[in-house]
Amino acid sequence: MTFVWPKGDLNDEQVDAITIPGNVFLTACPGSGKTRALTYKAALELSRLATTKQRVVAITYTHRAAEEIHERIEALGVGTEHLWIGTIHSFCIDWILRPYAIYHPALRHGFRVIDAHGTERRLEEHCRALRNGVRPFDCSYSYSTRGCELRDTHGRSQQAVGSVLNRYWADLEAKRQIDFEMILQFAYELIATVPSIAILLSQLFRFILVDEYQDTKEIQYGIIAHVMRAGAGRTNAFLVGDANQAIFGSLGGYAITREQFAQDCQAPFTPKSLSINYRSSTRIVDYFTNYHVIPAAISAEGKNRLFESAISYDHTTPSRQLEDELVRLLRYNIETVGISPREVCVIAPQWVALADITRRLVVAMPEYSFDGPGIAPFARNIDNFFYKVARLALTEPSPQLFVRRLRWAGDIMLELERAEVHLRGVSPRGLLSMCNAIAIDEEDGLNHLRLFFDEFLTGLGIVLADYPALANHHETFFGDSQARINRLQEDGLQGISDIAMFRRVFASRSGITISSIHNVKGAEFDVVIAFALLQGMVPHFGDLQVESAKKLLYVICSRARKNLHLISETGRMNRGGPYLPTEVLASYAFNYDDVPD
Amino acid sequence: MCLGWPWLCVPPKFLILVIRNRVRERGRMHISRLQLVNYRNFGSANVYFKKGINTLIGENGSGKTNLFRAMRLLLDDDMLRMAYRLDESDFHRGLDNWRGHWIVISLEFDEVAQNEALQALFLHGVGNVEDGQVGRATYNFIFRPNTAIRLRLAELGEGDRDGLVRLRNAITLDDYEVVFTGKSTADFTDPDQYRALVGDFDAVRFPDEMEPSEIGGRVPKVLSVAKEISFTFVQALRDVVTDFQNNRTNPLLSLLRSKSGEIDQAALAPITALVEGLNTAIEELPDVGTIRGDIRQTIRDAAGETYSPAGLWIRSGVPAEAERLFQSLRLFVGESDDGYEGAIHELSLGGANLIYLTLKLLHFRYQKEKQVCANFLVIEEPEAHIHTHIQRTLFDRLNYPDTQVIYSTHSSHISEVSNIENVNVLGRVGRRCEAYQPAAGLPPGQVRGLQRYLDAVRSNLLFAKSVVLVEGDAEEILVPALVKDVLGVSLDELGISLINIGSTGFENVAVVFHDTRLRKRCAIITDLDAAFIDTVPAPGDNDATQKAKAKVLGSQRSGIARRIRLDGFVAGNPWVTVHYAPHTFEVDFVAAGNQRPVVAALPDFYVHAPTIALATAELGSGDIAQFGTRVLTVANGAGKGWFAIQVAKKIDPDTELPDYVAQALFAAHSPSRAMIANIILYRLKRLEIDRRGNPDTLAVMFAHVERFSAGQIELDALLLEMAAAFPADQISRVLNHLT
Repeated sequence: MTFVWPKGDLNDEQVDAITIPGNVFLTACPGSGKTRALTYKAALELSRLATTKQRVVAITYTHRAAEEIHERIEALGVGTEHLWIGTIHSFCIDWILRPYAIYHPALRHGFRVIDAHGTERRLEEHCRALRNGVRPFDCSYSYSTRGCELRDTHGRSQQAVGSVLNRYWADLEAKRQIDFEMILQFAYELIATVPSIAILLSQLFRFILVDEYQDTKEIQYGIIAHVMRAGAGRTNAFLVGDANQAIFGSLGGYAITREQFAQDCQAPFTPKSLSINYRSSTRIVDYFTNYHVIPAAISAEGKNRLFESAISYDHTTPSRQLEDELVRLLRYNIETVGISPREVCVIAPQWVALADITRRLVVAMPEYSFDGPGIAPFARNIDNFFYKVARLALTEPSPQLFVRRLRWAGDIMLELERAEVHLRGVSPRGLLSMCNAIAIDEEDGLNHLRLFFDEFLTGLGIVLADYPALANHHETFFGDSQARINRLQEDGLQGISDIAMFRRVFASRSGITISSIHNVKGAEFDVVIAFALLQGMVPHFGDLQVESAKKLLYVICSRARKNLHLISETGRMNRGGPYLPTEVLASYAFNYDDVPD
Repeated sequence: MCLGWPWLCVPPKFLILVIRNRVRERGRMHISRLQLVNYRNFGSANVYFKKGINTLIGENGSGKTNLFRAMRLLLDDDMLRMAYRLDESDFHRGLDNWRGHWIVISLEFDEVAQNEALQALFLHGVGNVEDGQVGRATYNFIFRPNTAIRLRLAELGEGDRDGLVRLRNAITLDDYEVVFTGKSTADFTDPDQYRALVGDFDAVRFPDEMEPSEIGGRVPKVLSVAKEISFTFVQALRDVVTDFQNNRTNPLLSLLRSKSGEIDQAALAPITALVEGLNTAIEELPDVGTIRGDIRQTIRDAAGETYSPAGLWIRSGVPAEAERLFQSLRLFVGESDDGYEGAIHELSLGGANLIYLTLKLLHFRYQKEKQVCANFLVIEEPEAHIHTHIQRTLFDRLNYPDTQVIYSTHSSHISEVSNIENVNVLGRVGRRCEAYQPAAGLPPGQVRGLQRYLDAVRSNLLFAKSVVLVEGDAEEILVPALVKDVLGVSLDELGISLINIGSTGFENVAVVFHDTRLRKRCAIITDLDAAFIDTVPAPGDNDATQKAKAKVLGSQRSGIARRIRLDGFVAGNPWVTVHYAPHTFEVDFVAAGNQRPVVAALPDFYVHAPTIALATAELGSGDIAQFGTRVLTVANGAGKGWFAIQVAKKIDPDTELPDYVAQALFAAHSPSRAMIANIILYRLKRLEIDRRGNPDTLAVMFAHVERFSAGQIELDALLLEMAAAFPADQISRVLNHLT
């Protein structure tokens, strides 16, 4: 039965975008219900599948988004049995690398994926071994359909970086490991050289939905285009995103044009747009529209549209008084205006030591709690097996979490099977109740988890030494987490190793959020306070284009529903002298508000 | 119980004929090969299938049921869970020690199409990409030691036998894992490849590679092969009534289950309302109310108010949900015209079988209507217990194109084989079962010749353990009689089928016995047709004599030519041998010292006393020109078949078994020690009964035979003793051909 939604769930623009037949290229302004449109589109196409063989595939930017959209579709009452949703990396692994590994010389004997931390550690080793002055962060590289490209060698010679990378690659090959970039590279190589893959996939995929297309890499477009071309109309695509928010250029992401993608896919795409912002006040919308790169008419029509927003810009506070100013702004919004702390976010470029600011804010405002990636005692490393187990270890059984935790248990079983651990007679439900029954009385977070994992493995009869892949994950998990805790403790953060801090990683947002610009993508808050808006950071000196600065400001400012506070503190020192305010921001003449004491 | 159905077991000749005519063979995905390694009674076997109808021939115990079971482990949704419950008894018993070995069941699918939407998921999981496209698919079940054990095996030093023994002793079934893979390239039945993938247990050399790509990639989660195909298995119709009584195997219930999911809720609503009304009506019966009240009162009296349950009701439980309601349906069949409708267990066996088969076929039809990429119908021994007439009607309607049918038969009565290229013969070699393809590698012309032969003559040679081929009625009649009387055992007991190929030509038939086809022994007996009269033209020869001499010379020439041809044909083939009668069967029969039975039979051919006397004299002359000419005159005059029948009646244990016949018999089949002992005992007992042997000598010989049976002396020694003790008895001469 075709999925029908209650009238009023979607506006006319959204209905038009998801019901028009064929391929759609949807430009969605901030706060326009892009995720909603994508969710309903997935539900609609799932309900329209004519055979049980076909799938609707949705590619999201993060695992978190995938999980959220998955739950939302389920909540709409549409079966998700034939939905595949996940990141492009998961897509490549599930649909191309695993099924077709034996057709790639580098993968034919099996492979393991190492995460970003693993990559960094390996690069550190090879840099140390070579002593040619190259540092790990000089070695970021990515693949395009044309081959390997170095991102930013920070002035080191390509040859020197290349020699580190060659060692790194040879090392990975010997260990049959691949990193995130290689996932994309090998998937592309497979789909480009083995035509049958795209032919078969195009018959399995009725629809490919891509969220946040503006952050998609060229090679990812290439992979999807191969499927589309092989399908010759059998497979349709639905791309959603906003070129104005393309802030992952430094990682290779870019907003392809409709014309270009249509040409790559050899298929026409209908352009559609969502131009109604339900999030912010008219004043905020008018303000961030100024930073658009591609003009788009946006009208504020949400319940905040008439809110009398305070938009402030501070380019005089010295960096040593930044903390006081942040505290002042936070207290003003929370205590004077009455905004909930949960609805306040402090944003800075990722180059700033966020953990340091967090620590100082924690000290300065002891009555408030803070959430931020900088203070999590372990990394959100979704691909690590023990991270997956930790999700169950660090959450309490509750009716609200039951479905999610059951899925997590299912994920764990899948990973066990991949690691060749064959459990007889264990169901996800059984695994979940086994985990629920494990009681650990230990306050130190890492020790707590270590004991939990031990009991978990014993309960399943697994001897870690027999499964190198799992043993490797175990080592990585504790190695990375210990290093992280040490760093945070050096930064002066107390109590970071407590189990309570571990548990907060999976708890829902409760305090003031502190985030980098890139991590705040997709989120929204009543109040956004952004600092370090300095030329060389926003935009980053590796990419000093005006457009890049505009996109970053566009993203920052469009997160706010009500109030927006921008700070270009003075006196932050760069190599050649103090940083200056972001030029685009400084040169914009706007009638800013003052924030009263 | 009534016998409403005649159910004589009759060869399913019609069945095969009909199916062959009905099924159009189209380009269509089908199972092309099954590899069985170390599974039950298969050490390493290849079975090849073609699209359309396939026949699996084999005597009982040759592995037909296990072969089907193997296929079902991979393809039958009902059996999949059994794949995870393999145990020690599933390992091939020919393995001296199963620990460390792998069980592999591998299926290959041919004529797959990567552009066919229905096959896309299947091929995504198990399609082999070769030469730029997917042309076939492979799907494997592998039961092997887990990585931990395999790593430990790999760590053993080459030749470290003690280490291997220790490691193997510690292996249990818990150390085994089940892996389903697709896209494999390995030939698991190739011993070299098996050693490369699994390990060489003799040399203690195990592969370091834990993930050899040859075994293919794991079947992705998204694919369940059993759900992508339709697979219906009709088991041998033995325990049908039991099946009907078991909820899991009852074919009616599985049909109802599959249909109850599709019930229109609107159509069901009034029925549900009726059921609910019925339940209420039952609950409201006054007696029910009384009982309820009494129970409550009794509890209260017994336990007191505090401990009694707060409420207690009696509910009527007629199910209202579609599924349970459907499953309360039962099949009743009126078998005869008297109007009585009986439940299944009241039916005659034939009747129950028919119903069972019908329901299975209906199940198959329902399956086929689902969106599946291929249809398989596997029928075990359809010939059992169903009357030919019903079979014919039933299979006449079995008109399913796009369906691969595989059926097994153990009936040697099958006088016709649908298509020799679609036949697999299962045979037993000791504890091991092997599969043979009688037409493998033959050029089309030869396949047609073989097919025509099998169509026309009994297909016995496909069932035989070993074969002696002859080309005349006389041999067909006299050789079995000779063997029975001289050796005391029948050809059947020896495991030899004697087949008269008539004028077909030996090569056309013997071609199936070959390393790549039937690996069974075949001995050909034929005449060399050497001249036995003086063929030198003599002055004064009349026309007739001249012609006769010329004819004899012609036969001799063609005999030599045939010998050259046949010797060439069998050269290099260890499975086929040729054995020549120097002249002609009848002539050499007499030449072997057997004028006696022929003479004894003369009154059946001649009435004129002087002729009988002359013939008797000639037959006893010892001159081959005389007795040869005479025996042929008699045989040709009576007809060779009639002649043989009459002579066969006169055969006794003293009739001599010609040497070349003995050679042929033993080339086809080498009897066991026990069998040889029995043969000699038979001879000795004859001597004893006929009082022709000195009792002391006999006693000594009986003792020798006993020692031979016990393995204390060898055959040649025994035969020397026998020849010394009873030099006139032919048995030492005959059995000498074994040494």
